[in-house]
Amino acid sequence: MNSGVGRAVRRSAGATRQLVGALRTALPAMAGLAPLLAGLVLMVVLLPWLPAVVRPLRALANAERRRAGRVLGREIPAPYRPPRGDGLGEAVRLVRSPDTWRDIAWMAVHGFTGLVAAVLAVGLWPQIPYSLSLPLWWWAAPDGSTSAFVTLDSWSRALTMPFLQAALDVLLLLWLVPRLARWQARLAEALLGPTHRSLAERVEELTETRAEALEAHGAELRRIERDLHDGTQAQLVAAALRLGLADRRFDADPDAARTLFLEAREGVEEALTQLRTVIRGIYPPILSDRGLGGALRALAAGQPIPIDLDLGDGDAAARAPAAVEAAAYFVVAEALTNIARHSGARHGWVTVRREPGRLTVGVRDDGKGGADPARGSGLAGIRRRVAALDGTTRIDSPDGGGTTLDVGLPCGS
Amino acid sequence: MIAEDNVLLREGLVMLLTSDGHEVVAVAGAGPDVLPALLEHRPDAAVLDVRLPPGFRDEGLRAAVEARKRLPGLPVLVLSQYVEETYAAELLAGGAEGVGYLLKDRVSRVDEFLDALSRVAAGGTALDPEVVSQLMTTRRDPLQALTPREREVLGLMAQGFDNATIAATLVITERSVSKHIGAVFAKLGLPPTDSGHRRVLAVLAYLNS
Repeated sequence: MNSGVGRAVRRSAGATRQLVGALRTALPAMAGLAPLLAGLVLMVVLLPWLPAVVRPLRALANAERRRAGRVLGREIPAPYRPPRGDGLGEAVRLVRSPDTWRDIAWMAVHGFTGLVAAVLAVGLWPQIPYSLSLPLWWWAAPDGSTSAFVTLDSWSRALTMPFLQAALDVLLLLWLVPRLARWQARLAEALLGPTHRSLAERVEELTETRAEALEAHGAELRRIERDLHDGTQAQLVAAALRLGLADRRFDADPDAARTLFLEAREGVEEALTQLRTVIRGIYPPILSDRGLGGALRALAAGQPIPIDLDLGDGDAAARAPAAVEAAAYFVVAEALTNIARHSGARHGWVTVRREPGRLTVGVRDDGKGGADPARGSGLAGIRRRVAALDGTTRIDSPDGGGTTLDVGLPCGS
Repeated sequence: MIAEDNVLLREGLVMLLTSDGHEVVAVAGAGPDVLPALLEHRPDAAVLDVRLPPGFRDEGLRAAVEARKRLPGLPVLVLSQYVEETYAAELLAGGAEGVGYLLKDRVSRVDEFLDALSRVAAGGTALDPEVVSQLMTTRRDPLQALTPREREVLGLMAQGFDNATIAATLVITERSVSKHIGAVFAKLGLPPTDSGHRRVLAVLAYLNS
């Protein structure tokens, strides 16, 4: 009984100690809760600005990729995935992307080591003439001056140590500095180059966008079918009907028959006009006549404001798959129509580049900006058309700052 | 002379032209045949389809431009399923006398089509209204100064019509047509010219510049 009470008291005392001990984590948890929640809220609120922060970071990393690539004599490709939208979705993708974190890690490491390495390399050169001349004037140097980590306080030391120091400097310059430069470039390659993991991610992303592309492509087919069915076909049926009626009335009432003939002709003409519009939407005939370059030149020449057309070194005019060329043409045509209608621009620029496996199209103007893809059906049409080919669309249109449209279309080769 | 690869349309055109009292001296169904036939027969007028085999691109147009280089002033009426301002510009670059460029649809208006052909054969011009409206879009800014009526008159003039036809189309008198034309020329800063081809040429040169 007695021992039972003692055990119970000891157990309670132990538990009390444990609970008091738990205060070491409980108090910071209580104190930290508010700042943590505030921090989380702040992060979520600031998230939409992340792409704007990441853009200069990536530009810096790209500059380092080019620089380090030159040092190593091989290209360091950027692992970034093309942006798939604007705003919050893109920000979340950036947070989840390891590329962002690897860029930041590189920034931290390179920021410190880069500075130290540069100071070391530059500082070594003047060290050599300094050390070699030291025996001539060491007596005038301040007390406690050292060379090769030894204090110079006698002629014997002054005549030996500086030469040792100079030899050490030369050795460092010959051996260490070139290696430093290579290590630095390799560090950039390791942190900034693509990884196997980003390859796996690319596969995942392709699977995802392929599903979207199939969906968008299906929508395009349905739209074309609707245009032909409700427009052209209906017109032709009506015209045929009128011709049949005219045939029945021909003997009894030639005047009425004639009116029906004329109406039938108008119907057929209308159908032809609609058919032309549909064909233009599927595959503009001038593309097969003149290729993308010629078609875009014709398009640019037909605009009310001057358009600078930049097709690169002629490679852009090299034939891409028909669907890609048609989409590129559609994008430029639609963008130029928007420019002429809404932008109030005085000048426009169209750039087409054929990159490996990709056709990029840029359309820029100096108009009033403020284009909103959610409102303009033209921009929505561009997105839809580009998405059907698993391409990327980026629209940048600040108020008063002109509009820039960048489209990337994958094209196999 | 007719160059058209679709047999039905080719036969239809032959029928149309012979029924109107013209003689079809040659027909071609493929691009490479067009230029030799034109040079051999030197027809009073040629009706050419833009897109012909074997390439189905712009063989007919190229043949027309080349033929007019070798035989300046050879009247050609180019037909196409779609009109492209650039093609009009290429045709007109060698001079607008005896040049026609129309949508294929226009053959359904038989009288207007025959009228356009005889205008071209006589050294005049026949441009499709769609081409003209494309040209006028390009020169939108200077044309803002014109009244809607003046723009209509300019458009018809650019299609190659004479004063009488313009007056009949717009249901106004020839006198007011002349007045509108004078105003158009003054506003666009073109030197005043007498009626006829030269005036059309001035207008087209302006729109095409």
